[in-house]
Amino acid sequence: MSAGEDIVVLGGGLSKFARERPDGTPVDWMVEAAIAAMDDAGVDPAEIEHSLVAYESEILARQLSMGQVIQDALAFCPRPSIRVEAGGGTGGAAIRTAYAYLKSGLCDSMLVVGCDAVGRGVTSATVREVYALSGDVDFEMAAGGFFMAYYALMMQEHMRLYGTTEEQMAMVSVKNHRNALSNPMAAMPMEITVEDVLASPPVVAPYKRLDCAVLADGAAAMVLATRSWAEAHASAWRDKPRVSLTGVGCGTERVRIGDRPKPYPGLAHYRAKREASRAAYAMAGITDPRRELDVAEVADTYTGAEMQAYEDLGFCDHGQSGPLTARGVFDLGGELPTNTSGGLIGQGAPPGAMGLAQAIEVVNQLRGVCPAERQVPDARRGLTDIHGGTASFSVVSVFERRD
Amino acid sequence: MSDLVSRKLDVIENADPMGRGPDDPWRDFRTVERLDMELHFQFKHSFGKLSPFFLALEERRLMGTRCTECGKVWMPPRVHCGDDLAICEWVELPGEGVLEAASLSAYTLTTGGGEDTLVLGYVTLDGADAAMLQQVRNCDSPAPGLRVKAVWAERPVEHPMQLFWFEPA
Ligand SMILES: [Zn+2]
Repeated sequence: MSAGEDIVVLGGGLSKFARERPDGTPVDWMVEAAIAAMDDAGVDPAEIEHSLVAYESEILARQLSMGQVIQDALAFCPRPSIRVEAGGGTGGAAIRTAYAYLKSGLCDSMLVVGCDAVGRGVTSATVREVYALSGDVDFEMAAGGFFMAYYALMMQEHMRLYGTTEEQMAMVSVKNHRNALSNPMAAMPMEITVEDVLASPPVVAPYKRLDCAVLADGAAAMVLATRSWAEAHASAWRDKPRVSLTGVGCGTERVRIGDRPKPYPGLAHYRAKREASRAAYAMAGITDPRRELDVAEVADTYTGAEMQAYEDLGFCDHGQSGPLTARGVFDLGGELPTNTSGGLIGQGAPPGAMGLAQAIEVVNQLRGVCPAERQVPDARRGLTDIHGGTASFSVVSVFERRD
Repeated sequence: MSDLVSRKLDVIENADPMGRGPDDPWRDFRTVERLDMELHFQFKHSFGKLSPFFLALEERRLMGTRCTECGKVWMPPRVHCGDDLAICEWVELPGEGVLEAASLSAYTLTTGGGEDTLVLGYVTLDGADAAMLQQVRNCDSPAPGLRVKAVWAERPVEHPMQLFWFEPA
């Protein structure tokens, strides 16, 4: 590649997200998603130079070394491959790693495929217990802590500081479940009301069942390449609107919320997202994200987490996410439609796949090929935000239409 | 279903999740057999350099660490300062502090001590510069700012973190 050359997204594909996929294994779903992505890109699988496997916890599928297993299943041997893992941020780490491989010249084309099998093949109690191992084990997990509780405690502080309400959080759930109605890949499409969310069973205060993203089975895949490789190898480059990856940033945070500096981020804020978004915005030349972005997919592990993300991604000031949510700023038809796919709440949350699924939704929005119900008119620039832990690891990516 | 395979859980005739009917590319692969499988680990789990904290709990003492560079007091303790990586020293903290945030949880892990529900809170102990997660018990309204004290278990427990919790001071 030549210096300064665009990194382009040639295509994406999903294997259906669902609470349970008894019809196959994670390897089956990753192959399905990869075939869909390579079809969408219009590339010959034999010509793609490199693969990247994004997977968090294959122990829950009774398998290790998923990177090697999927490489074999994809008929990609003996080509080079790399596997990445960053908890819930795995898909974001995959996109940023792909960018680095393509920019460095290690390869000029890459198949990125991500998955996790955390539906009902294992019990949700087992998943909660295993995932608690990705936080602080000796102090917090041993005291009875787990991720739902950590997120809930962060939001308690947000409510205390800014008066954010459970009704405002419920509006995020209504929006994301509704957006998923036009998404045939989504696990949780639903037409529900704020009252339904408020009346759903309590989980960890302030969160109720319908405030939470659901663990799901599913896979996602993308094809990325340098512009010159795309011109020579991909029919999508000729036939479809062109989309480039123009910014990608990463930030980190202390694992235990109580160890984080005060007053910022304190208990209520995502410093890693501020760091990641600032880096991505600098690369993409963005100074006023709410106006310069047309669409966004942000990490809605919980409704309140989406609202906290608006603030640290610079969509609004601290404490403003509640009022702006109530005004419909982030709804379809609003100023910055967010989680048009349904997000993790509406589309489902298989960790290794979800960051890639976000990017696929944004690319489809920029191409203008989403179903009319959720297509953002003339979308030119979009963002994805995904994180691991309680945003102990965060990646923000910016995609732009190039014609 | 035959009983020749003892771990056989079920056999499922799946529909195509995308509903493609005769165009389903995997129509020959929709019958799925599942087994009932388990995986058990047993660990010699080490607390490493932080072991003195857990051993002191058995003496009803709460040990934090103080950075020898910047003076910050970490609780939970850290071996090295989270700000500057200097090696810390042990410092005993009083068993009282302030509740920063609390949530009632309808779920518990096996580490939760066998309760059906529990309240988890972040508590900054007096003299500490960080907050620690622990259970809050015997408290009707665990509001931020509440003064709390450590209360100690009277019976043997499985894990040292179950030796104490917080209650209103
Ligand atoms: Zn220090």
